[in-house]
Amino acid sequence: MQEKKDSILLIGYGRYGEKIAKFFSGKEFGLCIIDIDENHIQRARQNGFDKLFTIDINDDEILASILMQENFSTVFCAMDNEETNVYFTITLKSIWDNLKIIAICESKESERKLKLAGANKVIDTMEGSANKIFHLIEKPAVIEAIEEILFLDDEIDTREVEIEKGSFLDGKYIKDINFKEEFNLILIGIIDKETGNDFVFVTRGINHKMDAGDILVLIGYKDDIYRFIKDMKESRR
Amino acid sequence: MNLLTRLLVNFAFFLEGSPFYKKTKKFFYDLLENSNYKYKKYFDYTMIVIILSSVAIIIEETEHPLYHWLNFYDIYIVTTIFIIEYLLRLWVYVDRRKIVIEEFENSVFLESRFNTKRVLLKIWRKTLQYIFSPFAIIDLLAILPAYRELRILRIFVLFRAFKIFRYSKNLVEFLDVLTSKRTELTMLFFLVLFIVFISGASLYVFEAKTNPNVHSLLDAFYWSFVTISTVGYGDITPTSNEARIFTVIIILAGLGLISFFTSIIVSSFTEKIDEIKESKVLSKVEQLNDFYLICGYSHLAELVAQKLKSEKREFVIIEQDPKKYESIQKKPYLAIKEDASKREVLERINLKNRVKAAMCLAQDDIHNIFIALNIRSLSKSIPVISRTFNKNSYKKLKLAGVDYIVSPYETAGLIASKILTQPIAIEAVINILSKKKNAVCDEAEVLKNSFLENIRIKDIDLDKYKLILLGVRRIDENGKKFHFNPSGNFILKSGDLLIIMGYSISVSHFKSLVIESSLTHARKKR
Repeated sequence: MQEKKDSILLIGYGRYGEKIAKFFSGKEFGLCIIDIDENHIQRARQNGFDKLFTIDINDDEILASILMQENFSTVFCAMDNEETNVYFTITLKSIWDNLKIIAICESKESERKLKLAGANKVIDTMEGSANKIFHLIEKPAVIEAIEEILFLDDEIDTREVEIEKGSFLDGKYIKDINFKEEFNLILIGIIDKETGNDFVFVTRGINHKMDAGDILVLIGYKDDIYRFIKDMKESRR
Repeated sequence: MNLLTRLLVNFAFFLEGSPFYKKTKKFFYDLLENSNYKYKKYFDYTMIVIILSSVAIIIEETEHPLYHWLNFYDIYIVTTIFIIEYLLRLWVYVDRRKIVIEEFENSVFLESRFNTKRVLLKIWRKTLQYIFSPFAIIDLLAILPAYRELRILRIFVLFRAFKIFRYSKNLVEFLDVLTSKRTELTMLFFLVLFIVFISGASLYVFEAKTNPNVHSLLDAFYWSFVTISTVGYGDITPTSNEARIFTVIIILAGLGLISFFTSIIVSSFTEKIDEIKESKVLSKVEQLNDFYLICGYSHLAELVAQKLKSEKREFVIIEQDPKKYESIQKKPYLAIKEDASKREVLERINLKNRVKAAMCLAQDDIHNIFIALNIRSLSKSIPVISRTFNKNSYKKLKLAGVDYIVSPYETAGLIASKILTQPIAIEAVINILSKKKNAVCDEAEVLKNSFLENIRIKDIDLDKYKLILLGVRRIDENGKKFHFNPSGNFILKSGDLLIIMGYSISVSHFKSLVIESSLTHARKKR
C-alpha cells in the first residue's frame, strides 16, 4: 500500500533516533535526519545515512527551509532529552500546523506536554517497556507470540484493509464471513464508521455490518492478505 | 575412659542420632526464640495474656480476698508454666550434646585423652552464661512471687510485667535503641548521682537543724532528686536564704540534665529509625512466598511496580540510593535499602524457591550485569530480566545469565517502524498490553484431561467464548515453537499454550472452564 517513496524527517540521532533510523533504513522511505549535536550527525553518516543536518535549536529559519525543501509525510521527534523533544515539537507545529508528528517520551508528564504541543501520536517507551516486562514475568508466551507476529516473522503481517465500495464485503455482516476458513486470516477488529471512528475488537461480540470505508484489521501471512485484497478489488462491481 | 565418660559420650551420640530428639528441640527453639517461626506469635500472645492475668490477680489481691480457684491458678498453674518455660529455654540455649561430641572428636583426632572435666566445665559455663543474661534473670524473678510467705517477693510481680518485653518485638527494639546509647546514659547517670549527692548533702548541712521536714540525709537526697528532675512535689522546701540561692543553681542544673536526657533518647531514635524500619521490612519479606524482585528503582522500575501493585502481585524492591529509597518510602511498597549486587543482600532474602522472577532495572548496564551475575550465582533457575541502555551490553547481559533483555530504545524503534504502515494494529497491541479498553492477550494451557486435549482446533467453538486464537506455542524435542494461526486440523496436546485474545472476562471464563474440566476428569477417575 505504500508504493510511493515517502519522506520522513527524524529529529534526533541519539539512543532513540539511532534505533528508529535503523528500522527505517531497509524500507522504502526517504529518511532525513536532524540533530543539534554534531557528533550524533557524524555517527549517522558513518552508519550510512546521507541526508543529514546539524541545526541550532533556536534557528527556526533553517528548520523551516528544510521543511520546505521536501514534503515530509511524517516527522519523528526522538531527541533523548525530553525537554528538547517537546521544544522541537512545538517549534515544528508553529512553522507548519499540518505536519504529522510522532514523538517519543519516557513519562506520562512529557506525554501530556507533547500532546499539548501538538504531537499527533506519542509513544511512551517506558510504559511500553514496563508492560513488556510485566508480561515477560507473568505470561512470557504471549510476548513471544506478539513479537513473532509483529516484528520477527517477516511472512506474518498485520494489515488495515479499507472496504471498497461494491466489493463482496460491502453490506455483509462480519459473522457471515469465515475469515479463517476462507482466507486463512485472523480478524482482530474493525473501525465501523456507523458506530464511530473507534477501533472495536471483534471479541466484543458485536456483529458489525461492513460498509464501504470501514477498516478491517487483519493478521495473517502476507500472501493470504494479498490474496484477500486482490479478491476484494476484483469483486467490485 | 572411665564409666562416667563413656556414658556421657554414648548418651551424646544417642541424642545426636535421634531424629525425634532433634525435631523436638528444634520445635521448642523455634517456638521460643525464632521470630520468623509461624506459630511463635501465638505462643507469645498466650504468654502475654497469662502474664497480664497474673498481674491483675495480684493487684486485686492487695485489697480483696481472692477466690480459691484464682489463687490456685495464680500460684500453681502460672508458676508451673513459667518454670517449664524457664527450663525449656535453659535446655534450648546450649547444644550440650554438640559440645561433648566436638570434644570427643577432637580427642580422637589428636589422639589425646577425653577430658571429661573440661567438657562439663564448658557446659556449665555456657549454662551460667544464660542464667545471668538479663532476660533469664527477669524470667527467674517472675517465678518468685509464687512464694507468698515473703512479702517482699510481691515486688517481683513487676517482673512478670517485664516479661512482656520478651514477647513483644517492638519493646525489644525500644530496649535495643536505649542500649545503643549506653555510654551517654551511663555518663548521665553518674552526673545525676553526683549532683544529687552534692545538693542533698548541702541541704542537709544547711537545714537539718532548722527545717522540720528534713529529718535525715535520705530526706535531703529525696528532695534533691525531686528538684533536679523538675518534678518538685513541694513536701520539702528550703527555708533559709542560703539554701534557696543554692536551690536556684540546682534547678538550672536539673533543666540541663533533663534536656540532655531527652536529646539522648531522641537522637538514638532518629539514628535507629531506619534500621528498625528495615528490620520490619525484612521480617515482612520473610513471610512472603512467591514474589518478584525488582533491583534498582529507575523510572521503568516505578512503572513496573505500579503495574504489579495494580495486579495485586507481591514484590520487593532493592535500591541503595538514599534519595530514591526515600521516594519509595512514600509508596506502599516493600523496599530494602541495599546494593543488589552484593551477595549477602540477596542471600538474606533467600531467593531460592521464593522469587518468581528478578528484574535488573538499575540506571546503568554495568550495575545490571553485576546484579544479574549475583542472582545467577545464587540460583540458576530464576528467570532474570534486565534493562539495557547500550547496544554493546546485549551480549554481556546474555553471558551474565539474563533470560530476557528489554530496551526502551529498541521498543521505540520497533513501534516506530510499524506505526506508519499499521497504526491501528500497533495501537491495538499497545492497548492489549497496557490493558486499556479491557482487551487482553493471554495464554491458556491445554491441561491434561481437559476438554481441550486431543481436540482439533476447528472443533473448539472459540467464537462462542468470544475469543480469538492467535496461535499455539508448543514445546517438543526441537524446543519452543510458535505455530501462528494453525489450521483447523491442528490437534492440541497437553502442555500446549493457546495464545488467545479477548476481553478479560471472556479470557478468565475460558481459562476457568479448562481448569474445571481437567479437575472433573480427575475426580471421576478417583
